[in-house]
Formats: sequence, structure tokens, C-alpha cells
Amino acid sequence: MKLRRPVLWLLLGLIVAASLIVSMPGASYVHQDREAILAAASASHPAGTDALGRDRLVRVAAAFLLSLAGAVAASALTTAAAAGVGTLAAFGGRSLGWGLMVVCDVFLALPWMFLLMMVRSALPLTTSPARSAAITFLVLAALGWPASARAVYRGARQLTTSDWMLHTRAAGLRGPSVIRYVIPNLFPLLVPQFLISIPAFVMAEANLGALGLGVGEPLPSWGGMLFELNNSPMLLQTRWVCFPVILLVLVLLLLEGVAVEA
Amino acid sequence: MKTVMAAMRWLARSFAIVLLVVLGSTILVRFAPGYLSDVREMDSRYAPEARSELAIEAARSRSIPQILREETAQWLQGNFGVSRQFGVPVSDLIEPRLAVSGELLARGIGLAWIAALCAALLSSAGRNPSIFRQTPATMLLAVPTAALVTFCLLVNSGGPVLVMALLLAARDFKFLDRALRSAWQEPHVLQARAQGIHTGRLLTAHIAPSLAPQLGALASLSLVTALSALVPVEVLFNVPGVGQLAWNAALNRDLPVLLAVMILMAVAVTCSGMATPRAAEWESA
Repeated sequence: MKLRRPVLWLLLGLIVAASLIVSMPGASYVHQDREAILAAASASHPAGTDALGRDRLVRVAAAFLLSLAGAVAASALTTAAAAGVGTLAAFGGRSLGWGLMVVCDVFLALPWMFLLMMVRSALPLTTSPARSAAITFLVLAALGWPASARAVYRGARQLTTSDWMLHTRAAGLRGPSVIRYVIPNLFPLLVPQFLISIPAFVMAEANLGALGLGVGEPLPSWGGMLFELNNSPMLLQTRWVCFPVILLVLVLLLLEGVAVEA
Repeated sequence: MKTVMAAMRWLARSFAIVLLVVLGSTILVRFAPGYLSDVREMDSRYAPEARSELAIEAARSRSIPQILREETAQWLQGNFGVSRQFGVPVSDLIEPRLAVSGELLARGIGLAWIAALCAALLSSAGRNPSIFRQTPATMLLAVPTAALVTFCLLVNSGGPVLVMALLLAARDFKFLDRALRSAWQEPHVLQARAQGIHTGRLLTAHIAPSLAPQLGALASLSLVTALSALVPVEVLFNVPGVGQLAWNAALNRDLPVLLAVMILMAVAVTCSGMATPRAAEWESA
């Protein structure tokens, strides 16, 4: 609990700083300064430029905001889906519960990265950058729910034998009326699931992007920056190429810190 | 008898899961953009009408039941079909790559376990969890696989085994440290320590047996994590293994190769569940 407040403040500070950088007049993540290819830090480019002469600081700030927004949205979707499936499996009868858990197991039968890669590659790869970003995060949301659903199912099953549940049943409440009281009781389980999913999705996007299956250029993303690093030996010319990786690790540490403290 | 029935039910369920993985993979790839594209459609000598007819013909001849029938027949012949991309039997592609990936996995997991076990034994000996001992593992867990590989390539040091071992060791350490810490606090272990029993004897006679089920679960988790890391590690390090083959097949809509790899993965993950309490979970589900 001690670390929660500073971690949250630091994360908030990063979000504000990134928003200010992106909204600065003249700041553009697509503008190419052909006079400064792979330049080191300077007054006009505080974190240098990439192989196409684009300002690295603006691109990193935009990638951070995009990745965070996408991961939060995907996490909200996946948690909602997990809550729905887990609760339905626990309260919808034995055969429905069995069937839903088999569906979860089918998703969990493949290693996460293989599953992501297979589904993402089956969707359009040559599409607009905005659409590729939406597809990437929707795929993460669509494939991330089974593990959470299993956890929710277990939690909801425990609730079925709780004292207050026996009371509600004895009072004659059935079906949707009971579910209405179950969902608030699952919040202590759902909130950590939501927070844990955010860094996992940021990391998954970075890994997918590094394989060329993430957000399309010229939209900046963590994965796109890793992909760029891996393909140009000449990038060793400047140490500023490590800046996105260092910031990505810091962001992931902060997000995981928030999740663990919660 | 009850155990045999439970095992049979577990086997039936595992088989159903693998079948559903096959069906899902087939449907996914069949409807992926570009799966039905025919090279003749690019040939300018064909009139637009002829090209449309070629596309319709391809769509008609590649229905899901037909694809599944063809794939099953080739699987029964033992060659797992013919790769669309390379034009050779899938078994010829997979066999040598399986050895490469197997060696990478074995060395990575082995190294990770040794490192994690040593670190956890040292760390759990302390009274309270030290932030300094936990920091390296926490830092490593926050690094995406691709970032770690990129870092190794940039500094021209380390290789796929090291990356795999570091990723797994960080996860394994967290688990082992927690498990060992609670095992040292068990009443019978405290009693044995009070009686002056040697640490080595305590570990082998009291700690290890009580940790055995958890170690089984961890072994399964290690395998699944390693399989997940296989794709970025092999692709970015250019290791000719199964992960790289799967990535290639996914990008080129090479269904026979993709199906073979997915079945291998599903079987590996499902079988690794045997070592975990998950089999018991399945019983109660």
C-alpha cells in the first residue's frame, strides 16, 4: 500500500507530460526531418530522431498514450466478458457451466503468443493505421478473457454457498435478481483482473508489433519501435535508440506496481 | 475404478479440446484475407470474368468440410499434409525444427530452473522478503520478450537460451520464493529446525516433498510460458525452430503447417496440465 500513491502520481505525471508533448504546436509523429536522420538529442529534437528523421520524443509520447488507451479499453472489454462468462457458468446450470469452461480451455490450450499471432495474422494486415490499432487491441480483448473468466467462475462458485446467497434464495430471489447482487460482490475479484490485464496487453502489443503484426505505420506504437530497432544495424549510431525501450519498461513497472498494490 | 473413469473423462475432454483447436484454426485461416488467392488471378492474360470465375471456383472447392477431410486424410497417411508455401510434406518441415526448438526449450527451462531455485533458496533464507532480492525478477518481468531480444542484439551479447532462461527464471523465482518462504514456516519444519536437523536434510526430507505438487504446477507453467516466448525469440534471433515456422505459416496462410504446429502446441499444453491440479479442476467443472 505504501507504494501505491507515488506509483499512481508518477503514472499520472507521465500521462500529462505525454499529452503536453503530443499537443505542442508543431509536434507531429509523422513529420520527417530529412536533415536529421538518426540524430542525437538536440534542442529541436530532445530525444533525437529515428531512421526516417521523425521526432523520437513525440513518437514515444504518442505511442505511450495510444498503447495505454488501447490496453485500458481492451482490459475493460475483457474484464466485462470474463464477468459475464464466469457468472453465467457459475449460475447457469451444470451443463452450461461445463460447456463454457470447455470453451475457456480451448482458448487456454494454446500458448498466449501463438494464439495471438494466429488470430492477428488471420485478420487484415495491410489496412489503415487506425484500423490496425483497433484490430490489434480488439484481438487482445477477444482472446484475453478466458483466464479471467476461470478466476471469476471460481469466485462466483464460492459465492453460491455463502450465507447471504442462502438468505436471498430463501427469500425467493431467483435468476437475474440474484445476479444483480452477485456482480457487486465480484468487484474485489474483477478490479485486480482489470488492472493485471493492462500491463499484459501493453506487453502483448509490444511483442506483436515486434513480429510485424501490431499497429501499422506511421502510427507510433511500442511494438513498431521495437520492430524498427531490430531491423536496422545502423541504429547503433546513437544511444537514444534505447529510449523507447527504457520508457516502455518504466511504464510496465508502474502499471504492474499499480496492479500489485491493488 | 473411479480413478480410471476420471482419467478417461479427462482424456475425452483433452481430445475434444484438441479437436476444437483444429476446427477453430481451420475456420480462422480459411476466412483469412488472401487465403483463396490464386496466382492465376494476377495473370493479366486472364480476362476479368475469367479471374472472377477462378475466385468463385477456389471458394467452392475449399469449403471447411472439404479442407478438414483432405487434412485428415493426409494426417492418416502420416505426412501431415503438404505445405502450401514450400510444397513439401509438413513432417519434413517440422521434424528438424522440432529438434531445434526442443533443445532451446530444454536448455532454457533447465537453466531457468537452476537459476530460480538457487536464487529462491538464498532469498527465502532471509526473514522478510527483501526488495533488493525481488527487484531483478520484477524488472525482468516488466521487459517484453521482444525488448529483451532487441537489447541482446543491440549489445551483441547473449542468445536465445539466455533470453528464454531469464524470462522463465524471473517468473519461476517469484513462485519458488513464495512457496519456499511459506514452507520454511510450516510447524513441522520449525519443530525440525528447533531440534537442530541439518538444512540439507530439512530440504530433502521436509521441504521438497511438501512442495512437490506446486513444483509440478510450476513445471507446467514454465513449459507454457516458454512455448509462448518461443515465437518472438526464434523470429527475432532467426532460429530455425517451430516458432519461426508457425510465424511464417501464419503470415502466408499456410494452413497445413499451421494446423500441425497448433495441434502440437495444444497437445503439449493439454498434457502439461496432467502435472497440475488443473485435472482436478476439470473434474469439478
